[in-house]
Amino acid sequence: MKAVKGKYYFGGVHPKGCKELASSSPLETMPDPERVAVSTLQSLGNPAVPAVSAGQAVKEGELIAKADGAISSDVFASVAGTVEEIREETAASGAKETFIVIKTQSGGEKFRFPVLNDPTAEEIKERIRDCGIVGLGGAGFPTAVKVAPETSVNTLLINGAECEPYLTCDHRLMLEKTEEIVRGARYLAKALNATEIIIGIEANKPDAIKLFEPYEDVKVVILRKQYPMGGEKQLIYVTTGKKVGLGKLPADYGVVVQNVGTCFAVCEAVEQGKPLYERALTVSGKAVKEPKNLWVKVGTSVKDVVEYCGGESETPKKVVQGGPMTGVAMANYDNYTHKTTSGILLLSAKEAAADEPTPCLNCGKCADVCPMRLMPMNTAFYSAAGDFEAAAKYGNVSYCIECGACEYVCPAKRPLIQAIRKTKAELRKTKQGE
Amino acid sequence: MDNTVVISTPPHVKSKRTTRGIMIDVCIALAPAAIAGLVFFGWLALMIELVAVAACVATEFVYFFIANKGFSNKCKDAGKVCLRWCKQFDFTSVVTGLILALILPATAKWYEVLIGSIFAIAVVKMLFGGTGKNLVNPAAAGRVFMFLSFALTTYTAAQIPALNFESGIFTDATNLHWLLPSEGNPATKITVLDLFLGTGVAGCIGETCKAAILLGYVYLAVRNVIKWWQPLLFIAVFGFAAVFMSGFTYIASGGYIYNMELFLPHIFSGGVLFGAVFMFPDYVTSPKGVYGQIIYYVVAALLIAILRYFTKLEVTSFVIMLLNLFVPLIDKYIIQKPFGYKKQKEGK
Repeated sequence: MKAVKGKYYFGGVHPKGCKELASSSPLETMPDPERVAVSTLQSLGNPAVPAVSAGQAVKEGELIAKADGAISSDVFASVAGTVEEIREETAASGAKETFIVIKTQSGGEKFRFPVLNDPTAEEIKERIRDCGIVGLGGAGFPTAVKVAPETSVNTLLINGAECEPYLTCDHRLMLEKTEEIVRGARYLAKALNATEIIIGIEANKPDAIKLFEPYEDVKVVILRKQYPMGGEKQLIYVTTGKKVGLGKLPADYGVVVQNVGTCFAVCEAVEQGKPLYERALTVSGKAVKEPKNLWVKVGTSVKDVVEYCGGESETPKKVVQGGPMTGVAMANYDNYTHKTTSGILLLSAKEAAADEPTPCLNCGKCADVCPMRLMPMNTAFYSAAGDFEAAAKYGNVSYCIECGACEYVCPAKRPLIQAIRKTKAELRKTKQGE
Repeated sequence: MDNTVVISTPPHVKSKRTTRGIMIDVCIALAPAAIAGLVFFGWLALMIELVAVAACVATEFVYFFIANKGFSNKCKDAGKVCLRWCKQFDFTSVVTGLILALILPATAKWYEVLIGSIFAIAVVKMLFGGTGKNLVNPAAAGRVFMFLSFALTTYTAAQIPALNFESGIFTDATNLHWLLPSEGNPATKITVLDLFLGTGVAGCIGETCKAAILLGYVYLAVRNVIKWWQPLLFIAVFGFAAVFMSGFTYIASGGYIYNMELFLPHIFSGGVLFGAVFMFPDYVTSPKGVYGQIIYYVVAALLIAILRYFTKLEVTSFVIMLLNLFVPLIDKYIIQKPFGYKKQKEGK
């Protein structure tokens, strides 16, 4: 359908896009690395339980760890080969994760589920669960849970905003796999029994908007260039005008949001029976020689990815897994990609923010840009004094989506997200203590 | 990759705006008013501006030097402390000094300016913890301190005479008789245009030329240093309140008369416009949230209109100081509601 303009929401920042670094390079498949280390924690919720043992031969796409509980997802071998070891290691996020290390054997077999022709809603839901599909936007919520809401849903919202600077993999995906994304969206809509499909694309991707316009059953909404446009609540508001209440789920308002990458994964799962063990990601930043968009196997080490892109062009100041606004800074390259890794950024000293914080001026800019209309300065102020209850009360910290807009805009360079996370962690601790 | 890589919480990119940059922007915005003061009040004005800025910066430096143990160990670390001071210097004291100079009449003596500046920085700002921690606007507090200590209530007229329009009737109504040059000046009638340009008007160095202040306002608004609506809200509320107050004076001579012609003379007289653009929006001493700010500006405007009507004095600095003390209270009780808050209420 003809594209319409999206609404404006209160707040937000306008970081420099820096998308031109990688946006023109098409997605290419990175060859299988020598070995992969697949984490069993690939989604929100519980880590999966390993289903293989050291020395066992696995096919590409074979189940290697079984989901544990309702909110968890199956994990698959991303290469064919033999399981070398199962070890525990501290990941970039700081948490301990179990890694299943597989040594690649070239020319190995591939495992596929049977192809579904004209599937029913139940079949699609089952396939999504079987293929271990999770939200590929970054949070990694298991899609199988999302497509089985307790309330009735009439709108499927596809998130093509990609509001994070630098990242272009969703953009490339929309350009190269338009047809597949639409088909995946139709499968998802069928599973949800939704009647309307909306796709929101940020205005800085006019080529992608044009490609989606010919589909009569897809409503295209042009989003303003505003960060965080891809935040779930913000996206729902600007495209449908619905305000999702605090503590409520979008499904309570008849909306389910899915990323474009997820739609593509669903399409492959249904039509080819391919489990999710590979994803598109962007390698960018001024400190990497050749910024690229790649298809990378889950569990590939960051080192291999960087080497494939020509290595460093200068010493990076920060190495980030994910987007620059919400991603995780890594201490070294000994980390492995996950299903949720949307980018690997090597930021040069010029790009990366590493200024010393200066005293807070009380300017209130953080509250002005907060898309959730919180008061981050209050959280920072009270948490610095150790009064986490007041920090939560005056800063409304429990509703924070940690988009990083407040810290981005802060002229005093205060570590606001750190204060918010600390407050959240302290609150969890006191809750558990009760 | 070596060990120079930085690990921190996101975001990993940040805006280029810094405290120092914002303060330099404010200095630039104050420049037209400062230059207008020079033109209208001559070398005396320049002397006051220089003394105030130098005294403020020097006071801040001395305080920092002592607080960071620059004198201990026979001044062993003096060089290091100086370097650290240079690194953290954020131009806030320059802004304070400049604002303080611009809200003083040109009759102020140099030692009065010196003492006022030292009080503003040492007592009002640094003793409370320096940048970002002061409760009260240092410039406003310094001005009030000088007002009470040295009785700085006489104002010299601008060197450039009034334009001498015939219809000058306004100063009576605005209750600010001191705006009129007191002695030996033939221009006893002042028009709105005079008030706007500052010609022939008695007043403070930077407050006299409203055109220069508006220039500064436009710069600050365009650079997004202040929110453009804040001074406008303040000025509008103040103007209407002041006109309303003067309306009462006409009761005896036949009912209420709201003479809207008085709107411009009210807002253009005295230090209201300067305060609205440069002093009320001061980050440190104004409320943080939008709703708090609206309350702050409305209350400030009403208070100035009322106090000016009854006291017939320049009260802007007093009101700024007074209201600054209420800001922590406003910040504590007026918190903006999170996105989606209303819906939840309906659902209950």
